[in-house]
Amino acid sequence: MTMEEMKNEAETTSMVSMTLYAVMYPVFNELERVNLSAAQTLRAAFIKAEKENPGLTQDIIMKILEKKNVEVNFTESLLRMAADDVEEYMIDRPEQEFQDLNEKARALKQILSKIPDEINDRVRFLQTIKDIASAIKELLDTVNNVFKKYQYQNRRALEHQKKEFVKYSKSFSDTLKTYFKDGKAINVFISANRLIHQTNLILQTFKTVA
Amino acid sequence: MEDDVKKAKKPGIVSPFKRVFLKGEKGRDKKAPEKLTERRALHTVPLSLPDHRVDPDIHEKEVKYLGQLTSVPGYLNPSSRTEVLQLIDNARKCHQIPGQLTAELDAVVSLSAYNVKLVWRDGEDIILRVPIHDIAAVSYIRDDSLHLVVFKTAQEPGASPSPSAGAEGSKSPALSCLTETGAVLLELCSLLVLAVENKAAAEELCMLLSQVFQIVYTESTIDFLDRAIFDGASTPTRHLSLYSDDSSSKVDVKEPFETEASTLSFPGCLDGGGNSPSSSSSTPASPQTKTVSEGELSTTAAELLQDYMTTLRTKLSSQEIQQFAMLLHEYRDGSSIHEFCINLRQLYGDSRKFLLLGLRPFIPEKDSQHFENFLETIGVKDGRGIITDSFGRYRRAMGSASGSTANGSQAGEDGEERLAPSGGDEWDRMISDISNDIEALGCSMDQDSS
Repeated sequence: MTMEEMKNEAETTSMVSMTLYAVMYPVFNELERVNLSAAQTLRAAFIKAEKENPGLTQDIIMKILEKKNVEVNFTESLLRMAADDVEEYMIDRPEQEFQDLNEKARALKQILSKIPDEINDRVRFLQTIKDIASAIKELLDTVNNVFKKYQYQNRRALEHQKKEFVKYSKSFSDTLKTYFKDGKAINVFISANRLIHQTNLILQTFKTVA
Repeated sequence: MEDDVKKAKKPGIVSPFKRVFLKGEKGRDKKAPEKLTERRALHTVPLSLPDHRVDPDIHEKEVKYLGQLTSVPGYLNPSSRTEVLQLIDNARKCHQIPGQLTAELDAVVSLSAYNVKLVWRDGEDIILRVPIHDIAAVSYIRDDSLHLVVFKTAQEPGASPSPSAGAEGSKSPALSCLTETGAVLLELCSLLVLAVENKAAAEELCMLLSQVFQIVYTESTIDFLDRAIFDGASTPTRHLSLYSDDSSSKVDVKEPFETEASTLSFPGCLDGGGNSPSSSSSTPASPQTKTVSEGELSTTAAELLQDYMTTLRTKLSSQEIQQFAMLLHEYRDGSSIHEFCINLRQLYGDSRKFLLLGLRPFIPEKDSQHFENFLETIGVKDGRGIITDSFGRYRRAMGSASGSTANGSQAGEDGEERLAPSGGDEWDRMISDISNDIEALGCSMDQDSS
C-alpha cells in the first residue's frame, strides 16, 4: 500500500472528522437562521480545512472547551450527538430501498448513541446490545437488498464499504467482550463512534455511487 | 447444620477418613447414624458485601438437599410463596421430601459459570448437575424457621411428559416438551429444593446465582450480536445464477477478491483455541484453499464456503466435524432433507443451532422450503437462538410480490440467494467437495491435537 493510499484509508476511516459533522454541522444549521451567508462561509471553510487537516475541527472544539473550563467527556458527548441525521449523507432517491437504507442507518445510530445512558445498568445494557444486533442485521439486509436489485458499475466500492462496516461491527463486538472484563466504558464509546462513522460512510458511498 | 470439622490441607482433597455411604440417594441408610468424620473445607472466595460481588470460578456452599420434584407444571410462578409451598407440602405428605432436617441431608452445592452441581457432603457422591441454561428461576422462601432455596429447572430428559402432552416422547430437556414437528406440548419443569442455615446464607446463594446468570446471559447476548453480524455479512451480495445466460449477472471470477481476512482464513490459519472468526488474527486466505470448483462457482460462493468451514472449525470438535461430513454424505446420497435437518439439529444441540443458518446458501432449491420451515420451527430462522430477538421477519421476497414471505412463495425467487441450482451434477460435485473438505478438516484437527 502506498503512502497516498494509506493516507486515503486513514482519512476515510478516521473518526476525527466526525466532530465536523456531528458537532459543527448542527451549529451551522442554527447559524443559518441568523446569518445565512456567514454560516455558509463558515461551513465551507471548515469543510475545506478539515479535508486538508483531518482532526482540525476536533482540536478547535477541544481548545474552546479548555478555554471555557468545560469539563466534558468528549468521546461520550460525541456519541450522544452522533445520532442526528447528516443531511449531506442522506440518500435522496425516492425508491423504497434507499429510504429503507436511510431509516435503518438512522435507527442504528440512535441506538448506539444511547449507550452512555444504558451502560451502567447491566440488564438494560444487554437489551441495548440485542437491539444493536438487530439494527446491524437490518441495515446489512437492506444493503444486500439494494445490491440485489440494482447493478452498479462501481460495485466494488459499495462492497468494500459493506466489508468495512462488518469489520467495525465485529470490532465493536470484541470491544464489548473486553468491556465486560475490564469495565472501561470509554473504549465502548470509541468503538460505537467508529461504527456510527462507518454507518455514515455506507450512506455516503451509496449516495455517491447510486 | 453440622459445623465443618478440621480443614484439609488443601481444599478439594477429601479426607482419608471418609464416611461410608451407599451410593445414590435411595441407598442411603437413614436409620443408622454413622460416626461423623472429617469433612474437607469448601472452595469459597471472599465476597464483597453488600451485593456479594465476586468473580465466580467455583463457589461451594453447604446446604441440605431435600429433594427434587419432577413433572411440575411449567406455569408455576416461582415468585409465589403459596404455590411453591403447596407443592412442597404435598411432596412431604407423599414422603418425597423428608419432614425433618437431619445430618444425612447435608450436601454441598457447587456454583460455576457452567452448572450447579450438588454432591453429598460426605463421600461427595454426586446427586445431580443442572446446566445454568436449564435454570429458569431461583427463589428464597422462609417458612417459619426453615430457609428454603428452590430452583425451577428444566424437566430432566427421560422423564415422561404430562399425559395431556400426547404420546410422542421428547428428546429435548428444555422447559417445553416438543415433538419433532415443533408443536409445543404441556410445559413441565422440576423443582430442586434445598435448605440453608439462615436468611443470610440464602441471600448469598441467590446473589451468587444472579451473578452467574448475568455472566451466562452476557455471553449469550454477545453471541447473539456475533450471529447477527455473521448472518448479515454472509448473505450473498451477488446474483449467483450458475446457469444464467445473462452474462451481466455472472461474477467475474478473475476479479481479485479482497478478502476480509478474519472471516476467510482457512483451517490452519486460525489458532487452535477455537476463537471466533471475529477474534482470529488476520491472515491471508490460503492460496491452497480448496474450494468447490472455483472456476465454476462465483468468488462470493467460495467465500461463503470458506466462511462456513472456518466457523465449523471453531464451533465443533473434530469428531463432530466428521459426523457433520457423514451427514452431508448421506444427504448427498439420497437421504431426505428432513432427516438431514433433524440429525444436524441433534448434532449441533441447542447452543449451536444457529450454525444451521450458515447452510442456507448450500441447500438446493427443491429442499429450501422445508429447510426454511425447519429453521423457523427450531427458532433460528430470524436469527433467534438462545435469546429471542426483535428482528421481525428476516426478509421479504423481492419484486412485485411484496406480501410474499422469506420462504419464497414464488418459484425460483425466494428471499435468499442459493448457490446450488436444482440441477443434479453441479450440486453433487459441490456437496462431494464440501464433504471431502470437511472430512479433511476433521482429520487435520485430530492431527493438530495429537
